[in-house]
Amino acid sequence: MRMFATIAKLLVKRVLTAIPILLIVSALLFCILRILPVDPAAMSLPPNATVQEVEAMRAEMGLNLPLYQQYGIWLNKLFHGDIGRSIHFRQDVTSLIGSTLPATIELAVIAMGVATVFGLAGGLFLFYVRGTRAEAAMDFLSILLLSLPEFLWSLFLLLIFGVFFEVLPFTGRLSPGFERPVVTGFLLLDSLITGKIPTFLNALEHMILPCLALGIALSPSLMRVLRSSLLDAYQDDYIQQARLRGLSEKRILIRHGLKNAILPTLSLMGVQFGFLFGGTLLVEIIYSYPGMGNLMVDAIRNADLPIIQGAGLTYCIAVLVISIVVDSLYLILNPKLRVR
Amino acid sequence: MTFEIDRRNLLQMLGLAAVSGSALSQASFAFAQETDSVTIGWPSDVPSWDPNLRFVPDAQPLFKMVFDQPLDQSPDLKLIPNLITKWELKSDGLSMPFEIRSDVKFHNGDPMTMEDFRYTFVERIKSGLKLDIANSWRTLTDIEILSPTSGVMKFSAPTPTAPQWLAFLGSYLVPKKYVESVGPEEFAKKPVGTGPYKLVDYQMNSRIVLERNDDYFGTKPKIKRVTIDIIKDPSARTAAIQSGQVDLTVNIPVREAERLGKTEGLTAEINPFTRLILLQMRNDMGFTDKAVRLAAHHAIDKAALSKAFYGGAAVPLSVPATPGTPGYLPDYKFAYDPELSKKLLADAGYTADKPATFKLAATNGQFPSDFDIARALVQMWQKVGLKVELEQIEYSKYFELNRGGKLPEATLYSFDNATGDPEIFSGYLMNPKMPFGAWKGQEIGDKILKLFVEPVYEKRIAGYKAVAQEAVETGANIPILQSVQTLVRKKNLNYVKYGNAWVLGSTMSWS
Repeated sequence: MRMFATIAKLLVKRVLTAIPILLIVSALLFCILRILPVDPAAMSLPPNATVQEVEAMRAEMGLNLPLYQQYGIWLNKLFHGDIGRSIHFRQDVTSLIGSTLPATIELAVIAMGVATVFGLAGGLFLFYVRGTRAEAAMDFLSILLLSLPEFLWSLFLLLIFGVFFEVLPFTGRLSPGFERPVVTGFLLLDSLITGKIPTFLNALEHMILPCLALGIALSPSLMRVLRSSLLDAYQDDYIQQARLRGLSEKRILIRHGLKNAILPTLSLMGVQFGFLFGGTLLVEIIYSYPGMGNLMVDAIRNADLPIIQGAGLTYCIAVLVISIVVDSLYLILNPKLRVR
Repeated sequence: MTFEIDRRNLLQMLGLAAVSGSALSQASFAFAQETDSVTIGWPSDVPSWDPNLRFVPDAQPLFKMVFDQPLDQSPDLKLIPNLITKWELKSDGLSMPFEIRSDVKFHNGDPMTMEDFRYTFVERIKSGLKLDIANSWRTLTDIEILSPTSGVMKFSAPTPTAPQWLAFLGSYLVPKKYVESVGPEEFAKKPVGTGPYKLVDYQMNSRIVLERNDDYFGTKPKIKRVTIDIIKDPSARTAAIQSGQVDLTVNIPVREAERLGKTEGLTAEINPFTRLILLQMRNDMGFTDKAVRLAAHHAIDKAALSKAFYGGAAVPLSVPATPGTPGYLPDYKFAYDPELSKKLLADAGYTADKPATFKLAATNGQFPSDFDIARALVQMWQKVGLKVELEQIEYSKYFELNRGGKLPEATLYSFDNATGDPEIFSGYLMNPKMPFGAWKGQEIGDKILKLFVEPVYEKRIAGYKAVAQEAVETGANIPILQSVQTLVRKKNLNYVKYGNAWVLGSTMSWS
């Protein structure tokens, strides 16, 4: 009961803190994008528009008002659920983000799952082989994995499994011929809800390469942090006491060592998930994955400021949510924090 | 400490592998080729399925499969009848009587009528919707309906390129009744056209699935289903055609196209098309002196650029028009002559101690090898004593910089004109009232403005030829190369090659 109360208290506190953070981020985003030498009015018209037409559009978009007034108008609309209208696509930004966000969330969550599995397994393995020759080899491997960015992993995996072995698809979310159910926008979930198992499996197949690329790129840092946390934990007295009590090494590791060593790893996972969420751009482009990263690349290419603003805010909200989740997990896993 | 895999762990792992293996094999994706379908790897998506909304040259082949244009172009870019069967621009250029087909149906079964024409080109624009075609049909005041199949387009000023614009950007017929009943937003979600294919599935930035319109009035496509995979990354497009995930793709690096052309089962082409690579020139700052502009032009070895970056397939240009188009001057050549460049600079008083200097702006990634070409230009200019500073700009900022007079002396630029008409080449590039060109010299500008209202075709074309040559000889424009489209396809997939790089599923067939 006390745990739930503490978590609820934390949630309220974090949500209240999130409001000024969001306001500051929105103001920064708004100002930075307005300072850029890009004219949204000109961008929203075809190149053969006259100067008069551009000026009329500028007035219509409120771009001739002082910056604080423009921000005020934008903020007012934001509170009413209107992030603006895309210059390039001429659609509501809310609907554009709404249609691409689930794909990115799905990708990021599964990629984080891959990173967690690889990271934890690798970290445990690194810990197991400490002091042996295998440790040096694993160390080398983890540095090698760490030094390759996710877009290189994307290309590498695509060439190996898509082109050389031709065993995995690498474009889009589904193969041609598969019906795409639309319920929540989360394709895996929707295919399960509608009972389309072949679609589910096909979608899963399409996610293997992008998720591996993202997951492999993130896992080395998790491995290394877990290994060093375990090494620290094994210096503590309770490990010796557990050994004196005659507990098996496996039990000591899982029940005592890992439980304490996982906290810094969890913290890192939270940070990485935030980065991952905003870092899917190139992977989405390479794998033609129709997520928010792909949309963001279009927006940047076309200087579509309303989308950039909307996507920036969405990333900010995502990071805030992730940090709240991680903090809650901290409370669940570490009783000492609940006492304080 | 050792890491052990015991028998139980091993069996568990094998079990998991077997389950996932069998599951994935059941859902395996199809590499197998079907003769009534084709998958195209295309580099960009449509901005919206409302075809009147935005001008995006690369999206035109996609629109052309779902919608029809009043007039069409043959593979060699001649205007041909389509929805409009007869047209005649009057000698004053102020009106154009036309006749339409009576046997055309929209995908929802509604017949196409003159009301749809009037709606698309007049009523929709006047309704205040923000459509890009409003800018191309600025002079169109009305379409007078004379009979169910005939009407007259009426213009407020002579509009000599009206027929060309009926086959150009954004000019696609939309169904009045349907659009008015569902609204523009819903129309963009579920588009209805008269084209050879119907849109059956669309996922933005990922896939377009089209199915043959069996009621199509024109030649029925041989391919029943066309899938367009939007693959923005050139490496991924290369991988997709190599692995067989797509049957045809375009715009991959020239070297990759050449390599894939030697692969069994594939064939590659490097096709020049109606896109120019040129230098937009200013007539002030470091380019006030005509001698400097001409010296810069004579110093460019265009053939070497073509060989280095486009496998020699990009045609070196001397005028801002592509071969085969009406404004092209096949017998006119602007010489590559670095010695003449040096002489021009020396005669104008420039020396090694006091060199002519200017800035060159270029995009990086807007068109193939753009920044590499810019770097090569800087080196070529250095050899003749021109001191040039290279800066990178974003394409999206080009028009803004040009409007504000903030472009440097020269900007490497690519300009697309699927019609091939010289108004949309030389005219748009050197009309001082339009935002495309950086040249604001009034002498050439005045000549161009007169040609914009010249209704007699022969006179208009001759005028553009003369002004294009004059622009080059005064250094107002430095055309460099005709751009190329790389295309790789399965050997047994046939398609019709268009001079403007349209790649249409409706022209494809398997052999």
